[in-house]
Amino acid sequence: MKRSLALVCLLALLVPFALFAGGAQESATEAPVEEPYKVAFVYIGPPGDLGWTYMHDVGKKEMEAALGSAVETTLIESVEEGPDSARIMGQYARNGYDMVFATSFGYMDYALETAMDNPDLLVEHCSGYKTADNMSTYFGRMYQPRYLSGIVAGSMTETNIIGYVAAFPIPEVIRGINAFTLGAQSVNPDVEVKVVWTNTWYDPVKEREAAIALLDSGADLLAQHQDTTEPPKAAKERGALSIGYDADMGQFVGESVLCSPMWNWGPYYTATVKAGMEGTWESHQFWGGLSEDTVKLSAMSALVPADVQAKVTEVQASIVAGDWDVFTGPLYDQSGAMILADGEVMSDGDMLSMGFFVEGVVGTVN
Amino acid sequence: MRIVLEKREARSKTVTVLVPIISFVVSLMLGSIVLGLSGANPLSTYGFMFKGAFGTWIDFTETLVKAIPLLLTGLGVALAFKLRFWNIGAEGQFIWGAIGTSWVMVFWNFLPLPLLLPIGLVMGMVAGAMWAGIPAILKANWGVDETLTTLMLNYVAILFAEYLYYGPWRDPDGFGFPGTKRFPQEGWLPRFAGRAHYGLFLALAIAILLWFLLSKTRWGFEIKMIGKNQKAARCLGVSIEKSIVVTLLISGALAGLAGATEVAGISHRLQKGIDMGYGYTAIIIAWMAQLNPLACILVSILMAGLLVGGDQLQMMVGLPSSMGLVIQGLLLFPLLAGSVFTEYRLKIVRKVEA
Amino acid sequence: MEKSSVSTLLKMEGVTKRFPGVIANDRVDLELHNGEVLALLGENGAGKSTLMNILAGLYRPDEGFITIRGEKVSIHSPQDSMHLGIGMIHQEFMLVQTMTVAENIVLGLQDLPLIPPMAEIKRKIIELSDRYSLKVDPDRFIYELSVGEQQRVEILKLVYRGAEVLILDEPTAVLTPQESRDLNGIIKTMLSEGKSAIFITHKMDEVLSFSHRVQVLRQGKTVAACKTEGTTPQELANMMVGREILFKIKKAPYRPGEPKLILDGVTVEDPTGRPVLKDISLTIYEGEILGIAGVAGNGQTELTEVITGLQKAVSGRITLDSQDMTNKQPLHLIKAGMSHIPADRGAMGIVGDMSVADNLVMKRYRSEPIASRHGVMHATKIFGFAKKMISFFKIATPKPETLVKFLSGGNIQKTILAREIDSCGGVLIAVYPSRGLDVGATESVRNNIVAQRDKKAAVLLVSEELDELLSVADKIGVMFEGELMGIVDAATTNKEELGMMMAGMRGGNA
Repeated sequence: MKRSLALVCLLALLVPFALFAGGAQESATEAPVEEPYKVAFVYIGPPGDLGWTYMHDVGKKEMEAALGSAVETTLIESVEEGPDSARIMGQYARNGYDMVFATSFGYMDYALETAMDNPDLLVEHCSGYKTADNMSTYFGRMYQPRYLSGIVAGSMTETNIIGYVAAFPIPEVIRGINAFTLGAQSVNPDVEVKVVWTNTWYDPVKEREAAIALLDSGADLLAQHQDTTEPPKAAKERGALSIGYDADMGQFVGESVLCSPMWNWGPYYTATVKAGMEGTWESHQFWGGLSEDTVKLSAMSALVPADVQAKVTEVQASIVAGDWDVFTGPLYDQSGAMILADGEVMSDGDMLSMGFFVEGVVGTVN
Repeated sequence: MRIVLEKREARSKTVTVLVPIISFVVSLMLGSIVLGLSGANPLSTYGFMFKGAFGTWIDFTETLVKAIPLLLTGLGVALAFKLRFWNIGAEGQFIWGAIGTSWVMVFWNFLPLPLLLPIGLVMGMVAGAMWAGIPAILKANWGVDETLTTLMLNYVAILFAEYLYYGPWRDPDGFGFPGTKRFPQEGWLPRFAGRAHYGLFLALAIAILLWFLLSKTRWGFEIKMIGKNQKAARCLGVSIEKSIVVTLLISGALAGLAGATEVAGISHRLQKGIDMGYGYTAIIIAWMAQLNPLACILVSILMAGLLVGGDQLQMMVGLPSSMGLVIQGLLLFPLLAGSVFTEYRLKIVRKVEA
Repeated sequence: MEKSSVSTLLKMEGVTKRFPGVIANDRVDLELHNGEVLALLGENGAGKSTLMNILAGLYRPDEGFITIRGEKVSIHSPQDSMHLGIGMIHQEFMLVQTMTVAENIVLGLQDLPLIPPMAEIKRKIIELSDRYSLKVDPDRFIYELSVGEQQRVEILKLVYRGAEVLILDEPTAVLTPQESRDLNGIIKTMLSEGKSAIFITHKMDEVLSFSHRVQVLRQGKTVAACKTEGTTPQELANMMVGREILFKIKKAPYRPGEPKLILDGVTVEDPTGRPVLKDISLTIYEGEILGIAGVAGNGQTELTEVITGLQKAVSGRITLDSQDMTNKQPLHLIKAGMSHIPADRGAMGIVGDMSVADNLVMKRYRSEPIASRHGVMHATKIFGFAKKMISFFKIATPKPETLVKFLSGGNIQKTILAREIDSCGGVLIAVYPSRGLDVGATESVRNNIVAQRDKKAAVLLVSEELDELLSVADKIGVMFEGELMGIVDAATTNKEELGMMMAGMRGGNA
């Protein structure tokens, strides 16, 4: 009796196997004639975040559309910035992938380790500073569109207090805050930018709390270096204005989002994968700006007056033309000490390790 | 006909072995339903998962890499649980281990380089022990509930580590990015295959040593007495307070060593992402191993395999990451629930038969 | 009492129950008639409780069947049992301390509405308690009640649920003599109301005063079933144990040596600062048994715990062999040769989830030969030692590796006794050592204690049985409300004198 009962149980438990065994058969039957170029993307969050990862995913899709069946891609989402990332990149290498895009700063050491262990793999690391023969870095001069968005913000604030919800006190974010502040001051010397650190890239609750705290302290306009749409939403609920980030957040929130500095990875991804396929890839440190179309400013909201829009267009043209860049002297830090003399231009190295706030920012860099 | 649970008078060996196996099969079945509903072929998915974790030598080394911290924290938790001290603070002790080791590696420049690794690891153990010592002393002297203190101290540890690598310990040559300086290469825990480092043998040796201490020595005997009847142990002259503090110092040192080997062997610096939740997974490992140090070895390798194999759900099967977590949870659930059946038996009650 | 007619209410036939390594019941037949009290007599571990737990639905028999009023029934759960009109009162009461009497009585009733009509319930409880003379206030909390009152609540619980057959598992073990007499009255009332009862016990006098018929179990088998009338205690005891029982203790003449353990003005306070032990001074000499009498809860526990280092004295001095032992750790006292048989065996005397062998070495595991100097314990030495102790103290256990919790109460006590006697280095503190034990076990416990005294140990014996104190002790001290009422000579005192002192009168050489 006992034995037969066990048998029945076993059979019953096997049913789900049988039921779903046919599930994913079709994927195995695809066998293209020519071996495609295999590219993997490692994401820090889910592509549905409408922020950082979403924009990388948009770029990935553009690249796929441009290169067609010659390329085969895959992605893995929500990979922690820790030792696990090395395992995942290593596994892609072992599974015959040719190129891996590691799309977050914290993967740096692990990406380098993977590159060292897998000489045939090409590693592309976003936002870091370490390279190898088969590892490159790539990033965008986000400070340029942030400066433009600062012009819009400085023109539109009435209380002259702008809130800035910021993720981590690292050079990338500090640079963005400074550029934004300089842009705002260029049209409104009285403006103050108040910074609140959240210590997270992606946390709807914390970002909203920080946004509300800033609004409570007198800000009538919010900017952000965060990956959710919570700060613009919180601003909208209070009747305040905002500047988005990552993607065109106005599309999700409405015209209270005046504009959004955004990423545009498509061109770089297409060019880089193509170089890999054609064997022309070389180790590099890519830092594309407005002129390379790696970053851009979204279309502006109808609330932005025509003269402000014209001013933005004018400054953008001078940056693209290479006549001028954001961090050009005279430049003073928070304490009033001179950083750059009149006409002096900051080097890329100094920009990449920026660790101070410019005059007009309220907050500390840690 | 009804089904009732009946307490077993004695735990039989067959049951102890059989129940986990059956639970595992049930786990696979449950998982396959969810996999099927999300359009994946359960059989090939499990195949991918198994291959991802154990398929090749290099995959297996990756499983071992994860098994090392799991085993060490699991041993620490199992030891405390033997005493019925609910140490759920292995995560914080792990982080303090990482902090302690990093301190030596980054700032003790006066040390001869060959001493960096041994002293670094010892400092990690000391830091972990210290962090477990706080709730132990609170419990021993004033009876403060340890579940709360150990849990809260985890958050303190995580935030303190964050303060260090964003603040005073930030690498001055790191372009302002968070994280300490890289440890000198002489301080790294050497690797024997892939990323698998010698911490593995350290952990295995400790598991065996701990098994010996617990089952063959006076100290283990007293822990058993306290764990199973604290009042009687006190009556028989065992100092409960001393045992709690000593045992917890060791428990914390083991979790601390896990953090120490993780930074010395894998990440080579203290940085974001060090709090991987090993200290919490350790609780599951300790329970599944029924607090037996030797069983911890097997369980932590299996658990590491499950975590490593779980990558494949995204990489090969194309499921979203959240689904991967659902599957992993589903695989664990019956295993944990199954432990009920080592204590109780199911009885099918029919109408009376003479 | 006379029964009008004999009709069988309940019948168990050929009931067998096996546990791993033991046959608890071996083809037992049992019959209960309408309106009678059946005493189920046997030594600890004879299978009495197991047999009754089968009736109560806690165990299922491996073989045999049960009929009630001629109909075959199957009992799978306590609910089934209750449904058939059977209710059991276990040795440990199943009451929620922080709830009232009324709440406890209706707790777990399945047809209770979401909001119970408490007024009506209380009315019914009062009616029932009047009818069966079970005096108890339905509004009081359980923790406010004495043990005897709690037992009444348990009985009321069963009566409320309509039980026709009451099973009482050693009901008098926890009661004072007065409470036992009250219980006897209650049971008589219940019989007159048409109920029946089965009474588990191992005390002969109770069998004689409570029951109509008696059934004796030994090692899981029925050895006799007969009318109570016409049997003698000696006869019953012999049937129970299977050999001749000596009711007299063999004891060497009283020749005290040097003062061994001295208490001088010892006072203990409870956590709220109330004195529970007041200014106790006493001396125990080598080769002497000092008995402590008193109604439970008058400071006996505190007295033994302050001596054994489990409680702190706020003032006073304790010396052992002229060494100051005041507020020393238990380990210190153990090393000085103190043995302790605690009152609460399960909670303080043994570790139930460890083996008999392990429990036997719990005093010796610290040193050679059980453990090496480096602290490694030798399994073979433990095993050998345990086997020696098991055979010497006649502990009935399937194997030395069996978990202690599976032993019967008497064998658990023998395990503790074996360990404490073996390790005794001159002082033995024994608290209620024969409580709940059967005749055979009691005899062996008493003999072992006397043997220690004859070997020049100083013994403190706390007991609630005056007979035991009078026959075993050399001197008897009486405690009342934390104070020592006096110490009298066991050879010359009598129960009346002790009774007066237990009620708070000073006497002897206090």
